[in-house]
Amino acid sequence: MNQAAEKPNATEPPASARFIENLKAFPNRLADTMFRTGRPQSDRTRATFVFGNVFLHLHSVRTHQWSLRWSTTWGLGIATASCFFILLLTGVLLMFYYKPYPEVAYLSIKDIHFVVPTGRFMRNIHRWSGNMMVVLVLLHMARAFYTAAYRAPREFNWLIGMALLVMTLGLSFTGYLLPWDQLAYWAITIGANIAQSPREVTDALGITEWFDVGGLQKLILLGSEDVGEEALIRFYLLHVMILPLAVVLLMAVHFWRIRKDGGMTRPADAEKRLGSRVDGVYPVFTAAPEKTYSLAAIVKGRTAAVGEGPEWTLPSMPHLMFAEAAVFMLTIALSVILALFLDAPLKEVANPAVPENPAKAPWYFLGLQELVAHSAFMGGIGIPSIVLIGLALIPYLDRETEGTGNWFGGPGGGPLVFRSVIVGLAAVVALEALVIRFGWLRQWWPATPQLVVTLLNPGTLLTVLYAWYSLWCLRRFDSTRAGALALFTCFVCGFIVLTVIGTYFRGPNWDFYWSPSQWPGH
Amino acid sequence: MLCDTSRKMKANKHLLLWSSLAALGVLIWAAVDENFYRDWRVIQRQVRARLLPSQADAFAIRLRQIVSRDTGATDRCVSCHVGMAPGESGIEGDRLYGRHPDVVHDPASFGCTVCHGGQGRATSTADAHGKVPHWPEPMVPKEYSLAGCGSCHTHLSVPNLAELQKGKLNFEQADCLACHRMDGRGGTMRPGGAGGQEGPDLSRVGATGFKQDWYEHHWAQKKKAATGPWVSAFGDLPPAQRGAIDEYLRSRVGAPGLVEGKALFHMPELTAVGNKDPGQVSFAQVPGERSVANWLKQHFRAPASVVHRSGMPELGLTERQIDQLTFYLLSLRRRTSGETLWPKDRIRAERFGAREFATDGATLYGTFCAACHGQKGEGMRYPGLPEFPAIANADFLRLVSNDFLREQIKQGRPGRRMPAWGASEGGLSGEEIGRLVTYVRGLGAVPFEGDSQPRRWAKGDLAQGEKLYTEVCASCHGDRGEGKVAPALNNRVFLNLATDTYLYKTIQNGRSGTSMAGFGAGSSVRRTLTDAETASVVAFIRTWEGKK
Repeated sequence: MNQAAEKPNATEPPASARFIENLKAFPNRLADTMFRTGRPQSDRTRATFVFGNVFLHLHSVRTHQWSLRWSTTWGLGIATASCFFILLLTGVLLMFYYKPYPEVAYLSIKDIHFVVPTGRFMRNIHRWSGNMMVVLVLLHMARAFYTAAYRAPREFNWLIGMALLVMTLGLSFTGYLLPWDQLAYWAITIGANIAQSPREVTDALGITEWFDVGGLQKLILLGSEDVGEEALIRFYLLHVMILPLAVVLLMAVHFWRIRKDGGMTRPADAEKRLGSRVDGVYPVFTAAPEKTYSLAAIVKGRTAAVGEGPEWTLPSMPHLMFAEAAVFMLTIALSVILALFLDAPLKEVANPAVPENPAKAPWYFLGLQELVAHSAFMGGIGIPSIVLIGLALIPYLDRETEGTGNWFGGPGGGPLVFRSVIVGLAAVVALEALVIRFGWLRQWWPATPQLVVTLLNPGTLLTVLYAWYSLWCLRRFDSTRAGALALFTCFVCGFIVLTVIGTYFRGPNWDFYWSPSQWPGH
Repeated sequence: MLCDTSRKMKANKHLLLWSSLAALGVLIWAAVDENFYRDWRVIQRQVRARLLPSQADAFAIRLRQIVSRDTGATDRCVSCHVGMAPGESGIEGDRLYGRHPDVVHDPASFGCTVCHGGQGRATSTADAHGKVPHWPEPMVPKEYSLAGCGSCHTHLSVPNLAELQKGKLNFEQADCLACHRMDGRGGTMRPGGAGGQEGPDLSRVGATGFKQDWYEHHWAQKKKAATGPWVSAFGDLPPAQRGAIDEYLRSRVGAPGLVEGKALFHMPELTAVGNKDPGQVSFAQVPGERSVANWLKQHFRAPASVVHRSGMPELGLTERQIDQLTFYLLSLRRRTSGETLWPKDRIRAERFGAREFATDGATLYGTFCAACHGQKGEGMRYPGLPEFPAIANADFLRLVSNDFLREQIKQGRPGRRMPAWGASEGGLSGEEIGRLVTYVRGLGAVPFEGDSQPRRWAKGDLAQGEKLYTEVCASCHGDRGEGKVAPALNNRVFLNLATDTYLYKTIQNGRSGTSMAGFGAGSSVRRTLTDAETASVVAFIRTWEGKK
């Protein structure tokens, strides 16, 4: 050591000078080290940056031009994920002040609203991006369906997407209780009663005493017979920990699979429709790349890119990055604008002794509540289960290839969807009009047994009508896809109409009113 | 293709730019709003501008609040009404931004909303004053602000208004106001002569207590004095007058309006009015301001005009009475606070079962009986309902003993409109029922004529009794005595309490002033019953005893 110190390298400046020099170079070095492979300035360094970055490497290095068209996805998936990101951020901030205990919870929301710096704004953002996420996840699913993006090899990713849809609804529903106001309390009470609705069937069969699956479901959901502190802490835990963790996990898989399944779905003739290739601007990969495929030797099967020239791709950075960033910022802008002008609702503190009339579930469940008015089991459990199972089966039943990647692609196409919209709307509006004007079985024959109403109610009738129409389409076009297009479109129409009726036209005692101004005062 | 790609890129960049700018703009605006334009900040800036320079320097613009663990108050009202914050003075003499007037309970330790209502946690004007949807407890209007006392002082020993006014009259006639102040009046003379000590202010003497021997004490003072008010103003008071003054003094708790409103409520002519959830009332038919106070006033003026198909009669109240009742109802906003804070009246009432209003027969009758049986026991007729019996009827009172009345009040008429009022059901103590019996007896001023017969003596032909009953009684009393326009006869309590003599004589003599005419005397329109026939009917009525 001493010797080394005695013989300093003559060419090197003294340590003090080196220290200053290093200090000066620090910002540049920091940037260099941050990017691992140097700053992304050329296409090559950008590419290494993308696959060298833990977050960005979810993207492939190059993105197909078809995927970059706005109309391919409308950015709905990224927007949904952006909402989730905003929700995580604002949610964590809200957790600093929120106290999950009845009454105290309500007061803490009041404090967040009135005293906590930016508390009201953050809560509004949380509320609006929560609602936006529900809307976006539904739209995203519709996009995936209408472009037939669920087809091989993306069947399983469709299922993961469905799990994410259910979890998004779960997140929104659990968050609904947390303010502990009248709105929250009675909406969750309705939700819990829906969970209990299998009792309707077991009661009718007289087996509730031995087999009370409805009661058990409600007990698991609430931890008690009624919505109370047990339910609140349960919902809180689900809302801030269990569900977000599960969503993060599934989202990671969802994204990763997009890449592994070959990026966005595109039609077989995508390249032709894109027009002439971009030559000379971006490096064109040779057909025989100087790349070893050592892994390919031990992994069976082939990746989606094998045998396909990558010439129709553009570097993900910057093309995809800008598109994603734009959608991300647009989502943020929308939610902060909504949050600035519209306050999240907060009603009176929850009071189990004074039921809200009408007590309404969160808006996305109001379509179900409309059906629940006749049969809690069918509206709350039966039909949603049928819909979910139907959705899950779609990729496995529709094994066709025609129209993949095209909007409303497949036999029948756009005209079929248009006709299905007409049929779907007409059926639900006519049925609802009948029910609102003339009532249903119980109004006609008060002694009708519950089991009959459970089997034969507007919800089941509508489902059967839609199913029948879809089967008819399936046979007419000799295509499962045509049947699926018809059924999906009909259900979307039914969902929208029922939700609108439940939201705007139902008043006290779930009676029909043209506007809330006609609600009776007492 | 090149230009297509770069055009798309450019569009994305534009989207990114503009949405970033929009988000940034909103965030900046939110920050500015948060830091400069919140209601309380604006108000505090205005207040600071009006302060003296020396005060303005010490005045910090910040949130202020009063937190009281005892009353459960977290009240940020003082963020705007800064002068009322603990240790601050605000703008001298200003009603809104100056100090709180001196009151019994220090706002610094009790908070604001306990008395004034409104939303203590809120920091914007409309929210704080509770004039927003979904806040069930708007501020008590300032002209009724003393109604806030009622939220803790749920129980005030208050006589009915007639008693209260008698006491007040006596107090004033005895010239007490010469030396004592009472509710802001009187107290001009110094009992010890000019420069001497004032007579104590009696406005809150009901809460602070007073010497039971005040009269003797005054008398001793008068004997000592040679001149001045002690000699000229104080004189002899008969015990009845002293009693009335005592009653009046006990009601003086510093909230005369509340006491008067409550006293009015216990007047015989007023029936109990249910408390309404203010969040649920409809203002569609209420002219003027949309406040609960206004709703209540209109409701007292014309109940049916604000509540569709209200069964409540128009009471024909004066505007002043309407005001007082509104005031009283506004005071019914009971709060749950720690028992350590409970006023002694409330503890007496809720823990020791003392009644919150005076328990003389008249007040009890007015509160519990008059609504149905009439102010003077003359019975009541409400549209659509069978008549309520006149209990001061001489023909009735003559035939019933005080024991009958006592048991009747205690047990009620099961299944009928008359509830049981006994200690375990209706909550009247034996003593109170005794006072009521005396009062009811006094209403008719008819003593029990006595009955030497055993309780059950009637014997007769049951078949004949049944035939006669069906013929002459069933049309009013029902085929099985279940009661129609006339009272039910098969009632368990009734059959148990009524002696055969009572039944017999009522059938024979009838009850004047009702449709029940005597069957003993001849009549051109109805059958006459002989003694034996009457006994048969009584015997038949007895067959219902023990049956449902």
